[in-house]
Amino acid sequence: MKAAPLLELKSVTKTFGGLTANNQVSFKVQPGEIVGLIGPNGAGKTTLFNVISGYYAPSHGQILFDGKDISGKPPYELAALGIGRTFQVVKPFAGLSVLENVLIASFLRYPKRAQAEKHAWSILETTGLADRAEVSAAGLTLAGRKRLEIAKALALEPSFLLLDEVVAGLNPTEVDLTIELILKLRDQGVTILIVEHIMRVIMQICDRLAVLNYGEKIAEGTPEEISSNPAVIKAYLGETAA
Amino acid sequence: MELLPQALIDGILLGGIYITIAIGFSLVYGVMHIIDFAVGEWIMLGAFLGLYLNKWTGLDPFLLLPLVFVVFGLIGYLLQPVIHRVISGRQGNPLLMGLVFTFGLALMFRGIALTGFGFYSHSIPSTFSDKSFFYEQGTFFMTVSGIRLAGLIYALVITVALHWLLKKTNFGLGVRALAQNRDAAALMGVNGKRTSSYVYGIYVGISAMTGVLIGSILSVSAQMGPDYTIVAFFVVVLAGMGHLAGVPWAAFLLGLVQSFFLIYLDPGLTMLAVFAILFTILLVSPRGLFAKGV
Amino acid sequence: MRSKIITWSILVVLVLGIVPLFVSDAFVLRILTEAIMWIGLAITFDVLAGYTGYLNFGHGAFFGIGAYTTAIMMVRANWPFTLALLAGARVTTICALAAGFPTLRLRGAYFAIATWALSLAIQQLALILTITGGPDGMRLPPFLNPLYFFYLMLGVVASTFFLLWFLLERAPFGLKLKAIREDELGAQSLGLNPTRLKIQAFVLSAVPTGILGGIYAYWITFIDPASTLSDLVSDQALVMVVFGGMGTLIGPVIGAVLIFSFKTIFWAYLSDFQLLYLIILGAVIALSVVFLPNGLWGTIRDRNSGRGGLKKKLTGPPPGIEAEKKDETNKSILTAELKSCTQKDGVK
Repeated sequence: MKAAPLLELKSVTKTFGGLTANNQVSFKVQPGEIVGLIGPNGAGKTTLFNVISGYYAPSHGQILFDGKDISGKPPYELAALGIGRTFQVVKPFAGLSVLENVLIASFLRYPKRAQAEKHAWSILETTGLADRAEVSAAGLTLAGRKRLEIAKALALEPSFLLLDEVVAGLNPTEVDLTIELILKLRDQGVTILIVEHIMRVIMQICDRLAVLNYGEKIAEGTPEEISSNPAVIKAYLGETAA
Repeated sequence: MELLPQALIDGILLGGIYITIAIGFSLVYGVMHIIDFAVGEWIMLGAFLGLYLNKWTGLDPFLLLPLVFVVFGLIGYLLQPVIHRVISGRQGNPLLMGLVFTFGLALMFRGIALTGFGFYSHSIPSTFSDKSFFYEQGTFFMTVSGIRLAGLIYALVITVALHWLLKKTNFGLGVRALAQNRDAAALMGVNGKRTSSYVYGIYVGISAMTGVLIGSILSVSAQMGPDYTIVAFFVVVLAGMGHLAGVPWAAFLLGLVQSFFLIYLDPGLTMLAVFAILFTILLVSPRGLFAKGV
Repeated sequence: MRSKIITWSILVVLVLGIVPLFVSDAFVLRILTEAIMWIGLAITFDVLAGYTGYLNFGHGAFFGIGAYTTAIMMVRANWPFTLALLAGARVTTICALAAGFPTLRLRGAYFAIATWALSLAIQQLALILTITGGPDGMRLPPFLNPLYFFYLMLGVVASTFFLLWFLLERAPFGLKLKAIREDELGAQSLGLNPTRLKIQAFVLSAVPTGILGGIYAYWITFIDPASTLSDLVSDQALVMVVFGGMGTLIGPVIGAVLIFSFKTIFWAYLSDFQLLYLIILGAVIALSVVFLPNGLWGTIRDRNSGRGGLKKKLTGPPPGIEAEKKDETNKSILTAELKSCTQKDGVK
């Protein structure tokens, strides 16, 4: 907790009409950390992801990335700054092949086609998709599509990665593989903010957790601290009996 | 200034007809996410059925409306599965394909009508045609034609009936569920395919009936389709796609714009004005003027 | 596949180039010139429709803007044709930018509607302005040299084809457009600016169309709103693209050749063909959407390359991966994944 934070949220609020999806949320993510964002369904996690990645502009508050104010910047500018993200509902470019999907993301750092293809192949190898490179993205299994989602974000060579439920719906073996991949990325120096429902995963990989409930941050701390926090147990763990 | 009341009343009466053109169109978009390029052609075909039925039976067009509704409702009901097949295809861009498909239908219908009915304009006589009300006070005066008033009443009846159908019946609940979320609706036991077929049938039926009215109030011709397609588009874009509650306001606004251009300015400029308004609205608020929230 | 296409295309252009040496019949030359023009209109239409996923019913309007600008500069300002044509291209660019900025912020259906309204408005404008000659249209100074127009049309369309082939099939631009077509929102998180890409595509589609319009005006020597600005220009381009195969360059060429030949042949035999043609156009669109959703070329290509049609080779995978390619069962996927994350063993 010594260096300047990579990402800092300063009382970020997002409202839709009369509905407050995120209320005064503040937290920091240090470089090299894996931070988990948890909370019951409808707590505003995905909304917060959309705000951080530029899909929504915050109604109030500020988002700092690497010390710079990025609030309200469009997603493609944030991608260029080094923020990669995955989507909870995975939507690959269905009409294109797996390789082409990753290639599109590779153009950001490698505008020349030949280099981009080389880069895309290396990403496919890292994520274990190389053997399916020529397959139509629509033909992948759910696990494959989630993999592709990560591969696309990785092709951007991000310094910061937002992962939205990348293991939900996978079988235990696939879950373990994804966890390995995430830890490997962290070792390569990628900072990660992850939303996940499966507590086993969260407890295993996260350095710190932030808990949202009804759009507000109700707790923040190490996994151990969080799992013994009475407010969290009441709001979250109590409900899902994890 | 003396013409102001006339311009207002004409605009409102015209707007009434536009409501019925746009309301079914908007409903179909909301439920099935289809933009039906053939909307004007359904109106045209309905108008011709009305014209010929009137010639053969001599019945007043208003009495023929139910029959026209049933005939075209059935056509729509039977056609919907084909459209469903097009827009649920996995390859390509299904929504774009839906647009292209109905566009093809529109061209075909227009071609067939031009071949079968020729280029002439007709009108469908009604008992209301020669009745009108005249009102004068000081320098203000206005004429309200009986048939146009009847048209407005028809529009209100259709609007209220649709409102009742959607808000008060189980069928309407299913339709609304379908518009909200297809998968959830299926879990609730809504038969998406059949409900969509009914909705499309109702829409085609209403459009055809409106065609008969337009044939009585204005005229019937095989080339009339695109004029009304643009009306439907305009009203629906103004109201916000799939946003039914905004339709009447948008329809009245278009009616007023047209009647003001007719009375005060050059009618030839109407299309340009309509386009300018459409353009501005899309620029300022792409979701339409009357759509609130998401 | 790719290099084959380009070899064949060059061959076709060369063959077309020497046709006038053997055929001197003015009628045949005229038909060929018009067919080439339609190929140009179809491939440019497909830049937006097939690659980007936007139906531009204002395509004909850009054709008309090019035609009218060229005509106005030649007739009213006495400019030479080449300069007038360049002016036409310039005005088309400006109009495309002006129309593209607001309309391309709109999604799918809104865009189709807005561009259709635009084309109607342009037609109205040409009808009421005096500089365009209103409903009477404009007559251009005749230049009766069929060979000149044949080669000009061929040159412009061939250049457009090769430019589009390079930009859409070779350069990153084409893939980026396809990403927009598939998922405009998701593409943004990959660093793509949809508005910018769409406007580039719009201009890329409109400018050659305007140039073709300018050539057409000088060639035909008479333009009026009813013919030059009619919906039929966009409509026919749409049929050609849908029937031939959207999102490819060869598809629209095949579609244009077939539809245009069909039209020409039947026009010769049936006097009241115009109405029948409308019915046939409509039927062809509707039927291809239902039975040939990928168009003629898309279907042929899919047949030849197994089901998906996605077996395009890009650079080929690095050695070692080729071996696993056929095996697509879940198990092999897992082993591949295991292999790729071998370093860490901290997790159970």
